[in-house]
Amino acid sequence: MGLTEILTMSHELALIAALIILLISEIFSDEKSKYKFIPLAFALILGAGVVGLIFGKTGIIFGGMYQNDALRMAMKLILDLATLIVFLQSTEWIKHPHNKNRVLEFYLLVFATLIGMNFMISSGDFLMFYLGLELATIPIAALAAFDRLKNNSAEAGIKLILSSALSTGLLLYGLSMIYGTTGSIYFSEIKELITLNSLSMLGMIFFITGMAFKISLAPFHFWTADVYQGSPIAVTSYLSVVSKGAAIFIFTFVLYNVFGATSAIWTQILVMLSVITMTIGNLFALRQQNLKRFLAYSSIAQAGFIMLGILGQSAIGMGSVIYFLLIYIFSNLGAFGVVAIISAQTGKETIADYRGLYATNPKLSLALMLALFSLAGIPPVAGFFGKLFLFNAAASQGYYWLLFVAVVNATISLYYYLLPVKAMFIEKTDSPIATFKAKPYMALSVAICMVGLVVTGFASVIFEYLVSVSSGL
Amino acid sequence: MNFHETFFILLAAIIMIFSVLVVTTDKILRAATYLLFVLLATAGLYYWLQYEFMAAVQVALYAGGIVVLIVFSVLLTHQIHHKLVSITLTRKLLAFGIAGLGALVSIVTIVNYDFNTAPAEAMKVDVRQIGLHLVNTGHNGFALPFEVVSILLLAALIGAITIAKKEESNSDNI
Amino acid sequence: MYDFSQLTQAIHLFLVQHLNSSSVAIVELVLVGLLFLTMYAILGLTLVYMERKVCAFIQNRLGPNRVGPLGLLQTVADLIKLLFKELLMVKKADKFLFNLAPFIVVIASMMTIGALPFAKGFQAIDLNIGLFYIISITSLGVLGILLAGWSSNSKYSLLGALRSGAQIISYELSVSLSLLSIIMFTGSMQLSVIVESQANGWWIFKGHIPVFISFLIFLIASTAETNRGPFDIAEAESELTAGFHTEYSGIKFAFFFLAEYMNMFLSAALAATVFLGGWMPFHVSGFEGLNQVMDFIPPIVWFFGKTFTLIYVIMLFKWTFPRLRVDQLLTLEWKYLLPINLVNTIVIAFVVVMGWYF
Repeated sequence: MGLTEILTMSHELALIAALIILLISEIFSDEKSKYKFIPLAFALILGAGVVGLIFGKTGIIFGGMYQNDALRMAMKLILDLATLIVFLQSTEWIKHPHNKNRVLEFYLLVFATLIGMNFMISSGDFLMFYLGLELATIPIAALAAFDRLKNNSAEAGIKLILSSALSTGLLLYGLSMIYGTTGSIYFSEIKELITLNSLSMLGMIFFITGMAFKISLAPFHFWTADVYQGSPIAVTSYLSVVSKGAAIFIFTFVLYNVFGATSAIWTQILVMLSVITMTIGNLFALRQQNLKRFLAYSSIAQAGFIMLGILGQSAIGMGSVIYFLLIYIFSNLGAFGVVAIISAQTGKETIADYRGLYATNPKLSLALMLALFSLAGIPPVAGFFGKLFLFNAAASQGYYWLLFVAVVNATISLYYYLLPVKAMFIEKTDSPIATFKAKPYMALSVAICMVGLVVTGFASVIFEYLVSVSSGL
Repeated sequence: MNFHETFFILLAAIIMIFSVLVVTTDKILRAATYLLFVLLATAGLYYWLQYEFMAAVQVALYAGGIVVLIVFSVLLTHQIHHKLVSITLTRKLLAFGIAGLGALVSIVTIVNYDFNTAPAEAMKVDVRQIGLHLVNTGHNGFALPFEVVSILLLAALIGAITIAKKEESNSDNI
Repeated sequence: MYDFSQLTQAIHLFLVQHLNSSSVAIVELVLVGLLFLTMYAILGLTLVYMERKVCAFIQNRLGPNRVGPLGLLQTVADLIKLLFKELLMVKKADKFLFNLAPFIVVIASMMTIGALPFAKGFQAIDLNIGLFYIISITSLGVLGILLAGWSSNSKYSLLGALRSGAQIISYELSVSLSLLSIIMFTGSMQLSVIVESQANGWWIFKGHIPVFISFLIFLIASTAETNRGPFDIAEAESELTAGFHTEYSGIKFAFFFLAEYMNMFLSAALAATVFLGGWMPFHVSGFEGLNQVMDFIPPIVWFFGKTFTLIYVIMLFKWTFPRLRVDQLLTLEWKYLLPINLVNTIVIAFVVVMGWYF
């Protein structure tokens, strides 16, 4: 195979090059120039995205182990953008004296996970899928334990690695069963060979269980809250947005393109998972006072809504899932950005602390309100369209009672998403958070999210493009 | 029952008994040692299947590599009088019940499945073949996974260093 | 000439005529087992005797000379003494692991002997991955050392075990990488094939400079992997009493001792087999007369001659070089041997592809 074929994976190659550049630049750095890595990392992630956009092309190489198409390229760019936003939001935290010896390591680990996600998204067989998944998971455990002197953070690292070990074990066990019944690890071959029998179904159930752990669908969500709360905010937002997005993408793809012949079984499983996830995510989010934990539980509930889109089993279903992921990235990262700004400035993280924020910091309050409205799905913010298309996809397959449950849950979620808004705008307090000016990088990240929310919400061309490059069952 | 089958039963019995012991012992280093026996018996199974290369890989990587690392880290962190926290009886019963149920479902399904078997000639697995497969970029080649694994190992190393790194860099230089 | 397989084949045929297939397998296993166990014990005793004589030679002493002619029976007497000694048990030690550890060490060293080709046809099992098998089994020995150190409940043992673990894990890389060079030349890991490939010249001559570098690295790294001086920080008498086997007595101590010597034998035998032609006589292509003369010397003499020469060199290491500190030891491996080895591997790949060897 020649150079032109290798260029099919130019996005991954650019990311690997970025990783190596960062590693080498460590050799030429000293105590003072540590913080020069921060703009370097911004430049590298942007560069990787641009390289992927310009040189990336569709094709299947390595005998079917790697495949790239327009949808995957779009997904990779979305992940790049989300990572850039996370990088912007993490600047204040990484500059903290505690982290002064480990500035570069943060970026190295994030790049490594991003490479893993890219390979996972582009995998054409279960071996590459598994390797990508591992590469996207193991470094995150180190990231979760980044503030290792805090007990919470160390606990988050341990919980993440143990639960991911368990889920990976289940997943591999399932894959071995599927290999046993079909004799192949390639997606395209399994798709042809898989039949509806007890062993391959058991394998598929194990696979779904393993992935449900990764996406933190209930009842496999127990690790989520502690990990999200214990990790540094930047890692939490990365974990709940970027890794979850990548996992959902490949999950959808594998269900459609590998287990397509057995959709009668997995749709039933997904319906159950979806109902439980939405309900449990909402019930737990209702009780949270800490905003980080609150966002973590609400992200569980969001994953339940995404399952509705997967149940659409069509190009529209797939397109609506990706579209929702895009909106979810902007709205969730926007919310996390505001929380991170306030937490970095004042150390306050509970809803009660936000009372009267509008009076002192109107811009931040508006941004948070917009992000929360989008998460809740209030028209005319982008999140409304995202949820609408998801519901539409599920409705096209006739899951009406599931839709009813989803709408009830969306209504419940309205209540708790509005709680912080109420605190900021209506409730009064004697000692509100004082007026301050956010750091430029952080402000920029929130601004990007807000622009993204508006653009994705009103430019219908994005959704149409995603649907046009998607493929159904 | 001939010699060949006896050997299989012996190895399978070792694997099963020591697997249970790994999770029931209350001393962590003993668990690691039992794990060693499980892995060695698995290597024995590969050898029994005349897949010597895989057997040697199993011994070198798992028994000689991973168990050594586990034992080494136990040596650094754990003292001989430490014992693992004992688990309450209800939890034990629950865990055994769930594990047993899972095992039962899997075993029944696998035993009842009509595997598509066909007699095949013994493959000669020499080093050249293995090497060629590892660098093959075509179908059934493993060049890409081989390279990605190297990034995975690099990332894991960086992660381990991040967690283990000293907080203060100016304390002392060895 | 001197083909062992004729003898083994004859025994096999005899057994097949008189017994059924399962019994044949069992009888043959027992026979081979007995033969190798005896050889193992005799080699161990010889090596201990040799070590003491070499040490004495370097230190200008006579060494053992009372029991038997030239002190030859000294080690046998020592063995009998060790057998009768009381087996001490440390209070609060982990009894199971404490008793298990010496067996892991000794079994790991014993299992490797079976794959060595002592002479043509004189090989218990000729695996097609023989070299890899030996590398993988030797990596098990360190587990016994680690377990012994931890379960003894003694600070000296623990420190010795930790040092030994770090050392062996590091030097294993160099050992494997240097052996890889010959695998690249022969394209096979089967030890008999590797020996056969040296019929027209040993690899150390055929592969010239890069193989010589691998040979040197192998010698250094395998000395370190067997915990022998100057790399014996794991049992450094002057600081750690006796390192990981401080708390052991009697025959269990003897097992550690024996295993250490047999590992040394194994390293030397492996180096002899892989780099110096194993049982292959010294041949120079073109000189038929010389080759004929060399062929008259039995292969087993060639094998043990080469092996014991190398053992002598390894013993010289121990008695002439000062002991390395732990940081020096790891620096040597990670900063010098491993990079040299990696570059050398690339050079060899190049040499093999271009055919620049004899």
